[in-house]
Amino acid sequence: MAVNPQTPIQGPSGGALAPGADAESRSWVEALSAPGALREGRLADLHALLLRAARREAARRRGWLGAVSGPELDDIAQQAADDALMAILRRLDDYRGESRFTTWAYKFVIFEVSGKLARHTWRRQPPAADETVWERLPDRLRARPEHESEQREMLSLLRGLLDSELTDRQREVFVAAALNEESIDVLALRLDSNRNAIYKTLFDARRKLRAGLAAAGHDLER
Amino acid sequence: MDEKPTIDEFLAADPLDPGCDAGVPIIDQYVELELAGEDPALRFPGMAVHLRSCSACRADHDGLLALAADGPEPA
Repeated sequence: MAVNPQTPIQGPSGGALAPGADAESRSWVEALSAPGALREGRLADLHALLLRAARREAARRRGWLGAVSGPELDDIAQQAADDALMAILRRLDDYRGESRFTTWAYKFVIFEVSGKLARHTWRRQPPAADETVWERLPDRLRARPEHESEQREMLSLLRGLLDSELTDRQREVFVAAALNEESIDVLALRLDSNRNAIYKTLFDARRKLRAGLAAAGHDLER
Repeated sequence: MDEKPTIDEFLAADPLDPGCDAGVPIIDQYVELELAGEDPALRFPGMAVHLRSCSACRADHDGLLALAADGPEPA
């Protein structure tokens, strides 16, 4: 574990916890805020917990973003646990006891595993194909039998709306994320952006496409 | 969402969707409400909307829910 027990903890020793915070959560915060051996021991406990959590989450996601397994996957879990621990120590003062301490801590593991697997995939994946998978789209969507004909018409309109309504960036993101089903985390790395910004671009593209369909007499809000 | 989306869901753009970053501070509280048998959408309606249309945040949510439910070792 690459953690210096002298890493400073911001803020008071659990003084800002909500009155309803459970005893175990208080114990974690107090120990991690304490000086000396008590803190060192709990840091080791926390790192071990985070590592097990990271391994479980990495295993759960194995195969989603390409073939990652064995030592490579474990290395990602190790790095995720290390970085999650550092993030937790930096943010300890933000913890208010509104969830169990372990749930709050697992959140950092989840984000680290998610981010590291996306980066791993991005580094290894071939350049994105220019080809848009329009042909598969009808099969990916569900339509009630009475709406099948209208849905075919809407999908046909959609191709034109992509060119007429969207900015270049919105079109690029919509094609990659919505049509070609590229992970938005991997897409964010490819476009030097972040998940929230990519999602916002995708959201704006969807909103414009809905408006375009509505203008053509296919109001999805009905 | 295991079922295929409708075109309405495929083009989901709910104005109540606050985006990905809004879930970061509250996702731990959200899953604990679920584990307590409560409806998290009552307290965090925006997050509930967002999870319906963001597969990346839904993956994070599902992983956190599993860890919060039975710890690092699967039940």
